[in-house]
Amino acid sequence: MRTIGRVLRAALALALGLAFLLPIYIAFVTSLDRPQDVFVYPPHLVPDWNFSVWVQTWRGNTWMLAILNTVVIALATIAIALTTTVLCAYTLVYIPFRGKTVLWTALLAVLMIPEQALLIPNFVTMAKLHLVDTRIAQIIPYGASIFGVFLLRQHLLTLPREYHDAARIDGCGHLAFLWRIVVPLSRPILFTIALYIFIGCWNSLIWPLMVTSSPRVQPIEVLLSTFLTQDSSNWQGLSAAAMFATLPMIALFVLFRKPILRGLSKSSGING
Amino acid sequence: MSVTDAFLRSPAQSVAEPSPRPSRLREGLLAACLLAPAFVFLVAFVYAPAVLAFALAFFNFHPGGTATYAGLSNFHAALSDPLFWRSMANTGLYALMMVPSTLVLSVALAALLQSNRRLFRFAQSLVVLPYITPAVGTAIGWLWMYNPNFGILNALLRDVGLRPIGWLNSPHWAMPAVVLYSLWHGIGFDVLILLSAMSQLPEGVLESARMDGAGPWTRLFRITLPLISPTLFFIAVMTTIGSLQAFAQVYALSLSSGGPENATLTALLYIYQQAFTDGQFSYAAAMAAMLVVCIFAVTALTRWIGHRFTFYQ
Repeated sequence: MRTIGRVLRAALALALGLAFLLPIYIAFVTSLDRPQDVFVYPPHLVPDWNFSVWVQTWRGNTWMLAILNTVVIALATIAIALTTTVLCAYTLVYIPFRGKTVLWTALLAVLMIPEQALLIPNFVTMAKLHLVDTRIAQIIPYGASIFGVFLLRQHLLTLPREYHDAARIDGCGHLAFLWRIVVPLSRPILFTIALYIFIGCWNSLIWPLMVTSSPRVQPIEVLLSTFLTQDSSNWQGLSAAAMFATLPMIALFVLFRKPILRGLSKSSGING
Repeated sequence: MSVTDAFLRSPAQSVAEPSPRPSRLREGLLAACLLAPAFVFLVAFVYAPAVLAFALAFFNFHPGGTATYAGLSNFHAALSDPLFWRSMANTGLYALMMVPSTLVLSVALAALLQSNRRLFRFAQSLVVLPYITPAVGTAIGWLWMYNPNFGILNALLRDVGLRPIGWLNSPHWAMPAVVLYSLWHGIGFDVLILLSAMSQLPEGVLESARMDGAGPWTRLFRITLPLISPTLFFIAVMTTIGSLQAFAQVYALSLSSGGPENATLTALLYIYQQAFTDGQFSYAAAMAAMLVVCIFAVTALTRWIGHRFTFYQ
């Protein structure tokens, strides 16, 4: 009786897990089907491995450019945001200064402001700076990562205080301590933050949709949404395009499952 | 700082700052320099725009770049705009469907998937995976599943002898279809933080309950859930805030229209349409301001309710 229960539970867990994969798998099958297998009832569940739609869709649009744009935007955002995050979190943890409580409250308040309320004024700012329809406009609004600051601060608070005291006694200045001790000891958490910024850039839609208009600078999700609204009946092409946007994230998840999961489960502490 | 102050400070602190007076100032300056980069971005793209967002609603912008004071006229216009009310009602309906279903489903999934065995960890990963995938990319698979004629969902309904549903083509079913997609996309995060909260529960409590003959259901409802109620509360607040800001999912599933018959027109989608399709920036800003006030009010209410029903250790 006990064993049957355990087997049932395992089977149910596996079945549910696979069910979560189904919507992605369906698009995968549709994109690789021969045209005569697309509009059939009941739906086709094993792909024909016909890659011609992938090739056709890839050639028909500027996917390579969109992916390059996304990667450039993501890497620049990571470089800027990691720098500001490290400096900010270090200061909050290791340097005593007046008004730290006020500053901390100001940082907490950022979590309460919905990003969407900022879209219109930020668009006005970008228009004033003549940055509409550029990659820079998609980078600088994310130059400070509150999520990063909170995650890194939590991590720094777990480091033994003695490291800092010992370094100070040995005459090691703040910047040297930051660069030689704190950064090396925080590598895993910095990597997690970088991964999240990358995922965020890859998946971002509303801001790039607002602030860009030409494929020259648009990231992949925007190109995909243009394709979707213009060609909504081309199921096979759409499914292939969906794979171009989704498969890299799946690959990222397979490669970096642990740091991604670690970041997710720690982010609940931010508000709680 | 007086001498007594120096005495009263804890030893650890005085070791960290060997010579208080000159280094205090130096450290203050250093702190300012190190904080400046982050705050330049925050002031430019968060704090200032947050203030500006409200100001914008009280002006009317003209194509030439001039602005005239508009008083409350943008707010009046929004309050007498039936589509604004429709979009707010849709947003509320979406949140009302999302919050309870997220709580129930995430608890059920976490209870089912809680185990360190390989197969369960694999299933956990599959549940979390959609959370990091792009909304438009995955919406395409869902659009295909929701296809009334060739989609797998209607095929399943027919197989069990039920009548097929119009899904995204039906004003009645479109919003539930969006909810189903959003649950699929976002629940992995909730399941994961529940699993992480469950793994931190004191072993002894559950063990002694087992000794006393409490079955798995009793343990879940009487011990685990009350002990992780802060996490449940966190999920409720985050889902509420997230639901009131629903955009990408309706944008993708309704092909940016909010249809059919405005059934999936959420507040944010309407604001987006007004601002960037029709160029009505001030009007959109007034609606955004009201949405933000609603979000704050609902968050405060959720917190108030949550604190009354949350058990903190």
